[in-house]
Amino acid sequence: MEKKRILLVDDEESIQLLYREEFEDEGYAIDSAYNGIEALAKFRENPPDLVLLDINMPGMNGIEVLHQMKEFRSDVPIILNSAYHEYKQDFGTWASEAYIVKSANTDELKAMVRKHLA
Amino acid sequence: MPELRRDPVIGRWIIIAQERGKRPTDFLIEESKVKGGFCPLCPGNEKTTPDEVLVYGREWGHPNTEGWKLRVVPNKYPALIIEGNLDKQGEGLYDRMNGIGAHEVIIESPNHEDRFSHLPPQSMLLTFRAYRDRIRDLSKDARFNYVVIFKNFGKAAGASLEHSHSQLVALPILPRMITAELEGSLSYFRYKDRCIFCDIIRQETQQKVRLVCENDRFVTVTPFAPRSPFEMWVMPRFHSSSYADQDEDSLIALAGIFSETLRRLDTCIPHVPYNFVLHTQPLRSGPLEHYHWHFEIVPKLTSIAGFEWGTGFYINPMPPEETCSYLREITL
Repeated sequence: MEKKRILLVDDEESIQLLYREEFEDEGYAIDSAYNGIEALAKFRENPPDLVLLDINMPGMNGIEVLHQMKEFRSDVPIILNSAYHEYKQDFGTWASEAYIVKSANTDELKAMVRKHLA
Repeated sequence: MPELRRDPVIGRWIIIAQERGKRPTDFLIEESKVKGGFCPLCPGNEKTTPDEVLVYGREWGHPNTEGWKLRVVPNKYPALIIEGNLDKQGEGLYDRMNGIGAHEVIIESPNHEDRFSHLPPQSMLLTFRAYRDRIRDLSKDARFNYVVIFKNFGKAAGASLEHSHSQLVALPILPRMITAELEGSLSYFRYKDRCIFCDIIRQETQQKVRLVCENDRFVTVTPFAPRSPFEMWVMPRFHSSSYADQDEDSLIALAGIFSETLRRLDTCIPHVPYNFVLHTQPLRSGPLEHYHWHFEIVPKLTSIAGFEWGTGFYINPMPPEETCSYLREITL
């Protein structure tokens, strides 16, 4: 069976490495993008099954990326994953399926990914 | 010479550091352009919000579809969550409890470009009715002790979205500001056997130096010790401690004076960012002789920095008598 594909959008290399390892162990295929422009290009070219999206990135903000992705394909679940809780006050985040604050414990994030890829 | 003034209800001191000749036009507010793009609160995007808990104006059709005039939805990413039991714990001298509460968004109009201050009173009425109906509904939940309702308008006042909305948070505890008002007004009542807010209204309607506007049921005043230039309080003329007890006629009059008050403010300082907050009695206190519900409107025209954090004082560059005369002289 073909692996479900996750597009991982984060400008931090350490997060890319950690999540790649964690989610590949879970049986998913990971594609990486390090900024909004790259993420949008990959999303449009070959839409993934789910997007894990950071918010605070250089250049294009994750909330803007979220809106452009949703305009292109609204059926792909997008999980916002930020170190900052404050963005929850921005109603622009409501376009996402979930908002998980980054933590050393990735159980909550993994459970949310499983839920949306079930 | 600067002047110290004491708020008669909660005893907060403020400094009127009058800048000679300061006028409303000295507050330069940049008009924020409507950006457009995706808006979760717009008609057609109802599926991106949690299921509505209150709707007005949809005569037929399914819940969470178009055709509404006002919707109330839970906040998708709330500060406090509704599910669970209250679990209060002590840790030595410290107290903690789990984050139980309700966090809702009142979507005041289906039109993305509408501004609350420019809504006609009959549309504004729906918002005030929604506040009342949500407080009544949430008061049935024994876990909650207080409902705070507020609006942030403009980026500087904390609004993150252009679409006109206000917010409601039901809390298991009484906020410190309300406790201070309840205690201050009770202390005054014990001494004078009168409601301090009723006395404020009586004095302000007689003296008229801080009276911005009035109708048969409400008055708007610039308070004696305001935290910000152009701060205003909207208060019912007749004693009432509970916003949830207001009847339709009262809400119609409230919409009328609120509309006039905000239009005066917006004409004086176009596009001014502001916050307004409803102050009302705790959910299950019963009618209180010493307390008086009201709205406080605080324009965001000054910054809060070290002095304010360190003292709890606010520095205000314009006395309320002066801001009141500017507001009153506006021709609408």
